[in-house]
Amino acid sequence: MMSSKPVLRGKRPKVLVLRAPGTNCDMETALAFKVVGGEPELVSISDFRAAKVRLMEFSIVAIPGGFSYGDDVAAGKILANQVKLYMKEIRNFVRLGRPVIGICNGFQALVKAGLLPFSGAAEQTASFTANDSGRFEARWVHLRLNTQSMCLWTQGLPEMIELPVAHGEGKLVLKSPRHLEELKKNKSIALQYVSDDGKLLGYPHNPNGSVFNIAGLTNPEGNCLGLMPHPERFTVRHHHPNWTRQTFMKEGIGLEMFRNAVKYCQS
Amino acid sequence: MTERRPAAAPNGKRATTAPVVPAARGQAPADEGLRFTTLPPKELKELNAKLGWSLNDVELEAIRAHFKKAGREPSRGEVETIAQTWSEHCKHKTFNGPVRYSDGKKSRVFRSLFAETIVKATKELSSPWCLSVFKDNAGIVQFGKGGRWALAVKVETHNHPCAVEPYGGAETGIGGVIRDVLGAGLGAKPVLNTDTFCLARPDYSGELPEGALHPVRTLRGVVAGVRDYGNRMGIPTAGGGLWFDDDYRLNPLVFCGTVGILPTWAVRKEVKPGDLIVAVGGPTGRDGLHGATFSSTTMDGETDRAAVQIGHPLNEKRVLDALMVARDRRLYRGVTDCGAGGFSSAIGELARDCGARVELEKAPLKCSDLEPWEIWLSEAQERMVLAVPPKSYPELERLFHAEGTGCSVLGEFTKTGRLVVTHKGARVADLDMGFLHDGMPRVERRAVWTEGSKPKRGPCGARGGPAVRGRLGSILTRMLAHLNVCSREWVIRQYDHEVQAGTVIKPLQGQRHDGPGDACVIWPVAATGDWEDRSGFAVGHGLNPSYGRVDPYWMALCCADEALRNLLCAGADISKASFLDNFCWASPEVPEQLGGLVRAALGCHDAAKGYGIPFISGKDSLYNQSRDEKGRELAIPGTLLITAVAPVPDITHSLTMDFKGPGNSLFLVGVTKDETGGSLLSQMEGCSGEVPKPDPKAAARSFKAVAEAISKKLVLSAHDLSDGGLGVALSEMAFSGEFGASIELDQILTSPAMLSDETILFSESPSRILLEVSPKDDLAVMRALKGVPARRIGSTTANPLIKVSGLDGSVVLETLLVELKAAWQKTLPELLK
Amino acid sequence: MSLIATGTTNLIEVRLRPDFADAAGQAALAQLQHAGFPAARSVRMSTVYEICGTLNQSHLQQAARELLSDGVTHEFKVLNTPPVLDGMNHWRVEVWLKPTVTDPTGESVRRAIAELGLPEPERVRCGTAYRILGKTTRNVLERVVRRTFANPVIHTFTVTEAYD
Repeated sequence: MMSSKPVLRGKRPKVLVLRAPGTNCDMETALAFKVVGGEPELVSISDFRAAKVRLMEFSIVAIPGGFSYGDDVAAGKILANQVKLYMKEIRNFVRLGRPVIGICNGFQALVKAGLLPFSGAAEQTASFTANDSGRFEARWVHLRLNTQSMCLWTQGLPEMIELPVAHGEGKLVLKSPRHLEELKKNKSIALQYVSDDGKLLGYPHNPNGSVFNIAGLTNPEGNCLGLMPHPERFTVRHHHPNWTRQTFMKEGIGLEMFRNAVKYCQS
Repeated sequence: MTERRPAAAPNGKRATTAPVVPAARGQAPADEGLRFTTLPPKELKELNAKLGWSLNDVELEAIRAHFKKAGREPSRGEVETIAQTWSEHCKHKTFNGPVRYSDGKKSRVFRSLFAETIVKATKELSSPWCLSVFKDNAGIVQFGKGGRWALAVKVETHNHPCAVEPYGGAETGIGGVIRDVLGAGLGAKPVLNTDTFCLARPDYSGELPEGALHPVRTLRGVVAGVRDYGNRMGIPTAGGGLWFDDDYRLNPLVFCGTVGILPTWAVRKEVKPGDLIVAVGGPTGRDGLHGATFSSTTMDGETDRAAVQIGHPLNEKRVLDALMVARDRRLYRGVTDCGAGGFSSAIGELARDCGARVELEKAPLKCSDLEPWEIWLSEAQERMVLAVPPKSYPELERLFHAEGTGCSVLGEFTKTGRLVVTHKGARVADLDMGFLHDGMPRVERRAVWTEGSKPKRGPCGARGGPAVRGRLGSILTRMLAHLNVCSREWVIRQYDHEVQAGTVIKPLQGQRHDGPGDACVIWPVAATGDWEDRSGFAVGHGLNPSYGRVDPYWMALCCADEALRNLLCAGADISKASFLDNFCWASPEVPEQLGGLVRAALGCHDAAKGYGIPFISGKDSLYNQSRDEKGRELAIPGTLLITAVAPVPDITHSLTMDFKGPGNSLFLVGVTKDETGGSLLSQMEGCSGEVPKPDPKAAARSFKAVAEAISKKLVLSAHDLSDGGLGVALSEMAFSGEFGASIELDQILTSPAMLSDETILFSESPSRILLEVSPKDDLAVMRALKGVPARRIGSTTANPLIKVSGLDGSVVLETLLVELKAAWQKTLPELLK
Repeated sequence: MSLIATGTTNLIEVRLRPDFADAAGQAALAQLQHAGFPAARSVRMSTVYEICGTLNQSHLQQAARELLSDGVTHEFKVLNTPPVLDGMNHWRVEVWLKPTVTDPTGESVRRAIAELGLPEPERVRCGTAYRILGKTTRNVLERVVRRTFANPVIHTFTVTEAYD
């Protein structure tokens, strides 16, 4: 059966962009996939509840940013519960090696659903709390990619990139210090907030106070990525706050992440 | 819903043909009914006050006469419906009404102030890009290439609710203006929010009357409200402003704007008899009763505070998402939002030209103990009303329910010309549409303008000599730290200004993304899905109540001038711009106050005609005055916000205001005059001068030349000169770009020829723009600016300081950029720690 | 005895574990200090859910564990005992939306509890508790709270001298 194949390949891989009430980065995320050759489809979590969609017919899953369910209770919490309840196959989807990305609110949901950082175990080992500043903040940050990581989404990207963040509850915390060692060992730390010269510094370089400046996590296999910054907001060079000052950038670096996943499913 | 529109002609056909109300046709009234027609005038007035209708004596008499003729008493629901439909908030009776104006020399009678100023200019201009003006819930203009798209633009105020509960007031204000845009045409997808606040200084230390909130709390509250609602709606908040003046301490102003995009086929709405009246969104509760009449009364201790709620952005997001799908499947023919007056005004408006039959028991409720008239008038947020052909209803209902939001049929549109509202068969209201919408008696108001006596202050900039020279740097530093100039980063960062991935020119600009941009540029690609189309638009603002204290006429022209320059500096095509007006004033029943308002409206007319830019939408909020701690009436300064929107044909050609490199030429466009009246300098130094007086025709020529230079890619950065004049603009460009500048004041074109260093540096003469140009393009720029007042005044430097040579050739100001920037950045964070 | 079965009302309080920094509490502390309570030394915040319905203790425990709290950062309790009253400069301020004001969070939680397969509550309201340390008097604290966290137009609030 086609749907049991580890990676579902095609000329225009089908991308499931998950929506829930309050999701608000769905259109631009879908557009980014479309531009690099994917075939995005906006699917509401209520379609899963009504058993109207089959997850395994998709090559890629993206959980975009926003305020799912108003971020009531805690950011991404209700969505995480919904994913656990109605998208049980997502665990299998990840295990088969198919690309999954959670951005901002989607990252929070993946972590709270126990899908990151260790996709095998259902136990939640990380979480998010309010930014150290106590405020929602939107700003561009410098990020360092972990070149040792298996992450398929970031392969071939330069070690230092810039992306915008926009969140109020983005401080990543871990259940215990032991989990940080595990993350390092498994090369799960995909992205870290750094200063423009690549140092692990505090606010505002680390916009929320995340432990070890973690901005994004991947599973050890590298197919499932969650990150607080928004790659879909840097898909043309004119998204960069300094594009009127610089002339060398050809394209938004965020687009490369989407291209990586689509190419992975095309080859 | 509450868009100001020109009233029907006072002696027009509809107003004189109001038929007699028929006797109740077998329906028992749903409430006890009122003893109204036989009540002595004094008792009628008492009833009016007790039930909070805010009707004036003439209106009460008109209603009495109407029902006397009908031979029956009105029900409570009927009087409530009329009171809210005729409220200042919905009918804008001052603006639409007759005004007898006198300025001491001349007098003039306006049959409708609005029609004879703002609307008149728009009509005469007849700009081809205007698709729908002063008709719908928002102004609608063309957008992009090929005529496929249009923009719906609306700016609202939500002042009274924000005074009593800033967080909830700002939330419901944003929610309301978003619904205005969702209810414009067949619904536009919001792609930008803007927010402008006028507040007392956060460090205000004077007394406040009982119950008034401290300005710092108001500031925190309104910022949090905009943040929590706008961010949750997924709409970038990327434009706006802040203005501080202690006379706003009892009546803060909160302006919320939204721009939406819609396909041109969806610009027109209609309603056909037989269409279902469908309510979507949240359930109805006892929320915000009397919001419309609430805004027509001055604020005092007895204010009806039931009007205030907090917002429910998730419910509005559900409505937005379902509505856009329903629109594109063409499941409905008409739509409008429930704003002030709730169902009564939404259905009353949609059914205006046909009629409606409404069964209120079908409305989903939050609580079961609502009186029928309360259901009808409730201002519960996050609701809209659609006109749906019966065959489309099942699909529409499925769609809204799948999104988790309400959808129910309340009745149908008819062709009876009557608004018939029942609850379980009992009559709540049975009103003639003609009387309801055009039966309001028009009261002539008196307006007086006397030119303010010149304050007893010395003239600005008159002093000279070395003592003043040494002070220029200190004045500049203090200006940058001034609340009306300083960095707004503390506010802007709390707003998600980049969601939808279309904010290509951001509110914070420069090397470290923290300089003050003139206008944002939006590329609505997530909404259009068209990756190849690089069409965008820019939004800018003009606001300066300080000029209005001198003369509201010149304030209006200056606001228009500044809004246009903001757009120009971002690279927009201002030859196809549009204006929106928002007036906030004290009581129009005070002739001197209304006189100022008339001056401002005349200014809007002359600005529109002079710059060739139409007004497409507007709102006014009056009665912004309250009793202060000593029982005196404290009026706000007359305030006009002009919002300008213009296309950016190719977003990759847009501009920012930060210096791009060292050794570039600086060109100053425009003439610097002795115009310091109302200026920042006059406020800080206690001096006075002439208020800035734009010459729109001459300014328009300058702007056209600058636009040409920009379109030829000859300009590296551009910034408008506003509060604090040249000194502030030059500093902002320098520290944002992290390059210094050296200028010579004797190179500046002034009028008269001899002005002091201080005046040249800080005069706020309008229509001026500072341009940075690569030296290789100097000649080309001079050619583009031929025939326009412009001079090369200096250059950018690698040395990180501002250096100004005075008229006598000596250095009169030399200050490090870090010092200037630190002063500019510290003010708000220190006050809001 | 009523013939209509109505549910009972329970409170669930959710708070950050003591080893996690409370950024919102820090911001609240600064506001208190600024508004006339300079001696305030710390503020920790909790969210309190008032749940009215037919949920039993095990339902409430499940709702608190699986929905209202975070397994990593939070602790919770289903409140049925009043807080220990021993003062020592510890105060507890609870701020609630008035019953006439829409409570969006309460509404989301009501639906989300039903999604867990539990009996759908009739009503959920969401309040905020501030646990404050600092020497002051009840009158002063009430005044300061009215200046900061609670607006009588939409809120009700209580101040108790309590350590918990």
